Amino acid sequence: MDTLLQILFNGLSVGAVYALFALGYTLVFSVLGVINFAQGAVFTLGAYFTYLLIGGAVGANGLLAGLALPFALPFWLALPLAGLAAALVSLLVEAVAFRPLRRRRAEPLLYLITSLGAGVILVNLIQLLMGAEGYSLPADSLGALPVALNLGGAQVRTVQLVLLGVSALVLIGLTLWLEGSRGGKALQAVSEDATTARLLGIDSDGMILLSFAVSGFLAGISGGLVGLSISITGPYFGIGFGLKALGVLVLGGLGSVPGAVLAGLIIGLAEALVPSELSGYKDAVAFAFLFAVLLLRPQGLLGRPQVTKV
Amino acid sequence: MNGAANALEALPLLELRRLTVRYGAVTALRGIEMQVQQGELVTLLGSNGAGKSTTLRAISRLISPAAGSVFWRGADLAGVATETTVRLGIGHCPEGRRVLGRQSVAANLELGAWIRRDREGIAADLERCYGLFPRLAERRRQLAGSLSGGEQQMLAIARALMARPTLLLLDEPSLGLAPKLVAEVMATLAELHRGGLTMLLVEQNATAALEIADRGIVLESGAIRLSGPAAEVLADPALRASYLGSG
Repeated sequence: MDTLLQILFNGLSVGAVYALFALGYTLVFSVLGVINFAQGAVFTLGAYFTYLLIGGAVGANGLLAGLALPFALPFWLALPLAGLAAALVSLLVEAVAFRPLRRRRAEPLLYLITSLGAGVILVNLIQLLMGAEGYSLPADSLGALPVALNLGGAQVRTVQLVLLGVSALVLIGLTLWLEGSRGGKALQAVSEDATTARLLGIDSDGMILLSFAVSGFLAGISGGLVGLSISITGPYFGIGFGLKALGVLVLGGLGSVPGAVLAGLIIGLAEALVPSELSGYKDAVAFAFLFAVLLLRPQGLLGRPQVTKV
Repeated sequence: MNGAANALEALPLLELRRLTVRYGAVTALRGIEMQVQQGELVTLLGSNGAGKSTTLRAISRLISPAAGSVFWRGADLAGVATETTVRLGIGHCPEGRRVLGRQSVAANLELGAWIRRDREGIAADLERCYGLFPRLAERRRQLAGSLSGGEQQMLAIARALMARPTLLLLDEPSLGLAPKLVAEVMATLAELHRGGLTMLLVEQNATAALEIADRGIVLESGAIRLSGPAAEVLADPALRASYLGSG
């Protein structure tokens, strides 16, 4: 029987990962004004990369059946590396699905299709190489850490603490980078007013690449964390999370970083409060909640009322 | 004046040759020709829609000309990206100020120095800007969006200066400002001019601009109607006529 504290903890840790994932969408959206629908696939790849880097072997069904890396890294090292690999894939998605359209000044709607297409191809590629089966990260992925900790009388899974801790770290790092660094400020400048940013000499193409790299990193890390927490259910497992993160993004207010964090935590908690016998309806609860909030506040929780970009 | 000095003066910093710009079917500039010499303050005048902003936008390559060219230090700017014009020394303080409202005053100024890497020089210029505009120094931690119109204009000018431009393009810095603030902005521009900065100043407030400028150029429907030393342009009845839209 779960105590309330455990439920809250579950909700917060899952919500923090939603927030992380949603911020990836936010970064690209704030710079380009379009949603990158390949994010879900990059998230999936992050999970698979993490699995492979900690020494996991490919199952019996893919082209790479039986293959495993000759080394096994500890989770804390595998996760950031998987994030970096996901960042590279995200750059590839930009080069293939976004840049050619941008050169031709295509309609924003077209990016939706090309990025979705890139995502589907990536997912199918995973299936081709690694099969359609699920993978779970071994129980000892976290090394000598105990499986559960006793926190004020409640049993809390260590994995949840890792999710919460890593997400918090990455979120803080991202905020410091966005607010404090030269590159972060330039990215914000492009997002607020691309023409003015160009007049200041800020290379908007470079900033777009940067936003894709960072968003891919965030998606990869999120995928690795979710893979650790609930296992990888198959090549399509990022799609559902992608939709959820998109919901989080809209709920928080498009382009708002604190909004995405708040919305991620809220959705995570809302899901966790669904009784376990009804857990199959978690998504419905999350999206019903999203629906209700958007009826009252179309701009999202912390979003600015929509202003047409000049 | 000897021949060598004449030859030096003959190469203008900026030169527009038969510059034509079209927006779809509308011709905004009709083959205009002008030059700006190093150290000059030239003001570009004219009524709404005469093509003043378009001229500045063509110089910093926000739009590509349909015909004709922009020469910078004798080199054609065709094919150069806007981001690069800043690095070449062309600063553009855009119409409507366009400060980054969601970032602090200090962050706006730092981004103004984006193309520079000399930390000490940037820090020194930052202090120079705060000296030039003390009100920005008081509000350096505030979000730029919370500043008054006049303060935002000062921030926009200061931000453009942070790139250390050779030529500063200013698009209607007096727009929407109270007369006292207009005088203040013009006094600042005059001071920058005395410091040796070359400027191309687009203005609707012709009198205020001509008082501080070396030369004036009056545009009308995308063509040059009148040009000459500031005092002559100010005295010319054609100036008034152009603003009234007659002729």
